[in-house]
Amino acid sequence: MIFRISLGIALGTVLGTSARAQVVDEYQLKAAFLYNFAKFVDWPPQAFKSPTDPIVICIVGKNPFGRNLDQAVKGQVVRGRSFIVRQVADLQQLSVCHMVFVAASERKQLAAIFGEIKTSAVLTVGESEDFTAEGGMINFRIEDGNVRLQINAQAAAQQQIHISSKLLGLAQIVRK
Amino acid sequence: MLVLTKIPRRSSCPQRIAFPSTAWEVAPVLMAITIMLAILRASRRPMRTDMSASRVAGLALVVVLPLVPSLAQTSNPPDLTQATLEDLLKMQVTSVSKKEEPLSKAGAAVFVITQEDIRRSGATNIPDLLRLVPGVNVAQIDSNNWAIGIRGFGDLYADKVLVLIDGRSVYNPMASGVNWDAQDLPLEDIERIEVIRGPGGTVWGANAVNGVINIMTKSAKNTQGGLVSAGGGSSTTGQGLAQYGGAIGDTGTYRVFGKYSDIASTTLPGGGSAEDGWHSTHGGFRSDWDLSPTDTLTVQGDLLQAREGQNQTTVIASQLPLTETFTERSDMSAANILARWNHTLANGSDTSLQIYDDYTRRVVAGGLIWQDTFDVNFQHHVKLGSRQDVVWGLDARVSSLHMGQGYTIGFLPDQRTDLLVSAFAQDEVKIASTLSLTVGSKFEHNDYSGFAFEPSAQLVWNPTARQALWLSAAKAIRQPDVVDTSLVSDVATFPTGPGTFGVVEILGSPNPNVETLNDFEAGYRIQAAKRLSVDASTFLSYYHNLRTLEAQAPYFVTGPGAPYVVVPTVFEFIGTARSFGGELSVNWNPVDRWRLSAGSALIQMKFSKNAADVDTQPGDGATGTPQQQYQLRSQLTLPHRFEWDGSLAYVGRLTVGVPAYTRVDARFGWRMNGHTDFSVVGQNLLSPRHAEFPSELGVNYTLVVRSVFAKVSWRF
Repeated sequence: MIFRISLGIALGTVLGTSARAQVVDEYQLKAAFLYNFAKFVDWPPQAFKSPTDPIVICIVGKNPFGRNLDQAVKGQVVRGRSFIVRQVADLQQLSVCHMVFVAASERKQLAAIFGEIKTSAVLTVGESEDFTAEGGMINFRIEDGNVRLQINAQAAAQQQIHISSKLLGLAQIVRK
Repeated sequence: MLVLTKIPRRSSCPQRIAFPSTAWEVAPVLMAITIMLAILRASRRPMRTDMSASRVAGLALVVVLPLVPSLAQTSNPPDLTQATLEDLLKMQVTSVSKKEEPLSKAGAAVFVITQEDIRRSGATNIPDLLRLVPGVNVAQIDSNNWAIGIRGFGDLYADKVLVLIDGRSVYNPMASGVNWDAQDLPLEDIERIEVIRGPGGTVWGANAVNGVINIMTKSAKNTQGGLVSAGGGSSTTGQGLAQYGGAIGDTGTYRVFGKYSDIASTTLPGGGSAEDGWHSTHGGFRSDWDLSPTDTLTVQGDLLQAREGQNQTTVIASQLPLTETFTERSDMSAANILARWNHTLANGSDTSLQIYDDYTRRVVAGGLIWQDTFDVNFQHHVKLGSRQDVVWGLDARVSSLHMGQGYTIGFLPDQRTDLLVSAFAQDEVKIASTLSLTVGSKFEHNDYSGFAFEPSAQLVWNPTARQALWLSAAKAIRQPDVVDTSLVSDVATFPTGPGTFGVVEILGSPNPNVETLNDFEAGYRIQAAKRLSVDASTFLSYYHNLRTLEAQAPYFVTGPGAPYVVVPTVFEFIGTARSFGGELSVNWNPVDRWRLSAGSALIQMKFSKNAADVDTQPGDGATGTPQQQYQLRSQLTLPHRFEWDGSLAYVGRLTVGVPAYTRVDARFGWRMNGHTDFSVVGQNLLSPRHAEFPSELGVNYTLVVRSVFAKVSWRF
């Protein structure tokens, strides 16, 4: 009984003095990851026409970011390159992308999407359970309220995408 | 841990986070105080059975409070792009509900308990977690025994459910069932629990008759850093965990943990303590290695020791006709070690080789039992062309059992070593873009009953990307065990006249048979909208060769003492049963911060008696099964990282005389910052005490009481 009462008092005290902490929006966080990936991924030189060509991020499927992704990359420059965000409706447009984010809505279409870009140096990022198993490179998972990364390094290597060891070290490495 | 206010911000992005009303800031405090007061008041009261005011209040708190208006929150997005990757990985997202639950491709009734569900359930043990799953019946028998059945056949030793922890079977080969007290994992380390209702024999083999419970712990990579948690309350009087995870060179990670639990004694139905309280110490580790881009290795192990009490009523076979009721205190210990190597071949297919050893030593009704299981498993998963996905595997298992004579339970022979070998193959064929067929079978040989095979077929149709309709047919078996074949036990005595008596004896069968299920199922899943998903399944199950108990001709024993009559009863495998039912589970996120889940499970079982069947156990599957179960859960995320969660569950009566009951659990949590979490949980708030299951041989049932548990955890 003493325990329960003291606990009540303790809890009341900490509740009363709660700090203003906030959690972040899932897609705001994922947008920040996409921006960071550009810093920790190397594309082969032939992926860009010139050293100042922008990095094209494409969204396939229902855009879950709202304005978050545009805001995250607006005005940002990574190794001399700015960013362009595109919503892709037709899979044939994917060849111009450097990074493709495949929304959860497209999880039944993964094979078709990967088939379209399998010969291009395109970093694929997804958020579906089977994403890396189907051949995707980086997958977002939500675990205990945190975003976790799964990386299929083999798939990236096959498309000449080099992922830095720092990023690999923070991710769960999965295989096809 | 990084909170948003610490992120360097760019001036172009104003940072103003505004909550619409200060009322929401005091609401959590008021709620916490209200629930604490309700619990304190309730716990002081003596046993009552009427619907009292505090009961109604408890119900109202749980059910009505979440019905608050949507917690509108306006904020300008802060700039996260300046944060490092490490910091981003530490951030908490507002809601997991936004993530669309992938429609499982499986042609089976699968339910997944996520880490978020685990945390927000407030459960302190795995059996209470399994109460979340529609179609699973969890009944607590006393403080350290549970009867957990899927689609019927709930029993202390529920022999038709297979349970695996990280690929290691924890199904007890002696009595066919699971000793849940020995599965005392740190719940924080569980990544997910997959519960598959219905037969899983094709892949998992014998004993996966009515379901498979697959508990998977997190990779050591995801548990880096320290974790300390401590909690206490009225039923779980103390529980503490200390864990640390670090790196081994460039390629490996590890975690080690120590856990302590102290569980209070429960109450006997007639009043008084059952003296069945227990405490356990559990130490364990897991290490995960990326040996090469194509090889990973996992090595893990546990050591567990417990001391527990067991209230029982038993015949004392050495002093017939003496029958005694008493509490026995005894020690239990368990150890296991497992290694798994995954390798990806050049053609993209992957293989896994797993070896484990599992040892348990415990006292059951006065008899010392120890058992050891050694298992080697190989699996290969390969895609053949674009249409076929094949998994095949081989398994060999050696089980050694030593069974000491108890008060009345004995075995002849009292030790044995058995070999189980099996192979399986399963092929998923894409017939069309929206239609796939999976066929496969297990081929198995055990030392009790020889060869068995367990085929299955599933057809899955995805009319749209958000819907799946499936049909399946499968056969599964329960392998005979040492109780079936070797048990010798005087279970009851009765007077036959002045100074004379009779004894009912149970004997194992010299010719055990495999209990067999032929099962037909259909199911439908739909992600109806971003915020609503529905999963429905229905089954028709035919059981054959079920174990029954048949009386034989009585005989007299004349010996040094007074002569007495023995009524021998022998296990036979002549029972048949048919069950029909279904489960429904609905998930709804009315707003991002609020998730509601509802579930129901209905089952009708009919046992047929063979003409020769004079069964003294009228179908343990039917008696241990509620026909109806309903549940409603709510997870509400409040501003300032407060959480308010509740559940309401109705479990129908058992025909053996356990009345229906309704459980109400509630949890109030606060994730103070990224490091520190607080929670207070009340369980069984609606009634002071209730029974969930009848007594079993060697275990007297006790009452589950209203309880409260508070916990603090700190990650660093």
